[in-house]
Amino acid sequence: MADGGLRLTRREFYPVAALAVGAACSRKPRLPLSPPGNSAVFVAKAASYAAELERPIEEGLRACGLDVRGKNVLLKPNLVEFDASTSINTHTAVIAAAFAVFTKVGAATVRIAEGPGHRRDTLFLAEQAGYRHGIAQWEKLFIDLNRDDVSAVRGFAGRGEFFFPNAALDADLIVSLAKMKTHHWAGATLSMKNFFGLVPGAVYGWPKNILHHIGIANSIVALNKTFRKTFAIVDGIVGMEGNGPIQGTPKQSGVLIMGADLPAVDATCCRIMGIDPLQLEYMRLAAELGHIEESRIEQRGENALSVRAPFTLIKEFQHVRLA
Amino acid sequence: MALDFRQTRIELLLRSQNADGGWGYFAGRQSWLEPTCYSLLALHTLEEGKTATERGWKFLRARQRPSGGFSPNALVPDACWATSLCVTLHAVRGEFDAGWKLGVEWLLASEGAEGTWLERAINLVRPLPVEYDRRFKGWPWLPGTSSWVEPTAHAIVALKKVPPHSAISARAQKRIEEAERMLMDRRSTDGGWNYGNRRVLKTNLPSYPETTGIALTGLQGSKRWNLQSAVDAARKEWPQTQSSLAKAWLAIALRNAGDTLPAPEPLAPGNDLMAAALEAMACPQGGHQWLTAG
Repeated sequence: MADGGLRLTRREFYPVAALAVGAACSRKPRLPLSPPGNSAVFVAKAASYAAELERPIEEGLRACGLDVRGKNVLLKPNLVEFDASTSINTHTAVIAAAFAVFTKVGAATVRIAEGPGHRRDTLFLAEQAGYRHGIAQWEKLFIDLNRDDVSAVRGFAGRGEFFFPNAALDADLIVSLAKMKTHHWAGATLSMKNFFGLVPGAVYGWPKNILHHIGIANSIVALNKTFRKTFAIVDGIVGMEGNGPIQGTPKQSGVLIMGADLPAVDATCCRIMGIDPLQLEYMRLAAELGHIEESRIEQRGENALSVRAPFTLIKEFQHVRLA
Repeated sequence: MALDFRQTRIELLLRSQNADGGWGYFAGRQSWLEPTCYSLLALHTLEEGKTATERGWKFLRARQRPSGGFSPNALVPDACWATSLCVTLHAVRGEFDAGWKLGVEWLLASEGAEGTWLERAINLVRPLPVEYDRRFKGWPWLPGTSSWVEPTAHAIVALKKVPPHSAISARAQKRIEEAERMLMDRRSTDGGWNYGNRRVLKTNLPSYPETTGIALTGLQGSKRWNLQSAVDAARKEWPQTQSSLAKAWLAIALRNAGDTLPAPEPLAPGNDLMAAALEAMACPQGGHQWLTAG
């Protein structure tokens, strides 16, 4: 090596090499081995909640090869808090349309269920969000997952026993009717994070703080490992950008995103939002459950690129911006 | 004949008691400690509720774990925050027995997992995104997790009923003082409380009416704090909220603060048994008085 060049002793070399390897890994995160094959994700345009929503949802089910005949289906919207000035919750029109479609295509039963993480009066929250008036026979259809009967499941997040609502455990299919939002801890909250609402407040409290102690990313993945018979419909007609999931601002994106592979659905949502899914911890961990790499996702319906609408990100998440 | 608001709730509770003696959140569902405790408070001293109360009491006592804490239902083994409600009920019934003492000891040993020395040191160097004073701890929903407003308020109520001459009174007082500080520190800028975060990422979070009522119930009788603006916030919320749960908790807090509220609208109860029990308690002398200090 020429004079003036960088000379390292062996003792100096190893830490520098370790840092270099670390830096290289941070540019292209190492992912767990994904399942074989590819996954279909359907993207539909929907300009507003007044638009025809049943047709695109039915097309999405068909495009993703979902057969629900004879199944007991649980629709799980994202109902968190209510603030008329912004767009926190899955819109009533999306829930009503999904209910109509799943009934039409032959589900044995279709119920709607949620367990909000902050507010104790779920039924009142649903009333505020317009669910009671917007969905026929709401009282008969709805189950408060925070206060449902529970059963134990072993092995959740490495724990001996963890309790879940029977309505969720007994369902043949859980449909994550999520909202497309940024999230100030997780980066984004989409179909996978929506399963926080499956954890019963009656056991774990309001908020379900145990999930934060386990780790948000770990909890998202553990929930999605526990509940595998799932489908996702993400309401991105009006999402939330900035300081989501509650205090952000509405973001008109005009899309519905659907699929049976929830990591693939979330990865597609991220790309539409202008977020690199590989930069979100929960998405990287979720790669063992589904496909998050673009090359393994078969895009159906609209081209995801054509509906890209970058969301505003808080400064803590600027680094996840898709290049 | 006009519908008797309180009586309809009492009748609903009496006909909805489960065979195991407990109450579910909804009729015919698994028994849980929380609706059972509120039902027992609503029925306490009522002649017509005597048999139901004794059956419910047996259900409650069977939930006590060897640790002294109480588990939330027959399937879930771990003791939880609702131990506070059980300790309060022991005091309301005048049963300061070994079960009560074990329950109090469990509460005194339980505290939020937040505010470790490392967390506090980091916060000094670089303020954490959730703003609160990490020196003051309350109670968690579950052991090993952080303190939140609702379990803290219930624990304060339970400890305020520890007789002043008892051996554990001084320790109870110390925890009450710290927990009251914690509640005051976590109060929203609008005067009330939400689940327990007043400011996150430099954004103020609004209060919830139901949590405001619960926090005020915990703080009532406190000589250390001026609660006037919180009481004013509750007075403003009470006629406005359409949540039966929030209305009941606000009424319980305001009646215990000495307010005389107009009679509730004569509406039939819904199918939510916990809300029905709290609505009954929120009536004049309906059981709200069992949650006062001492």
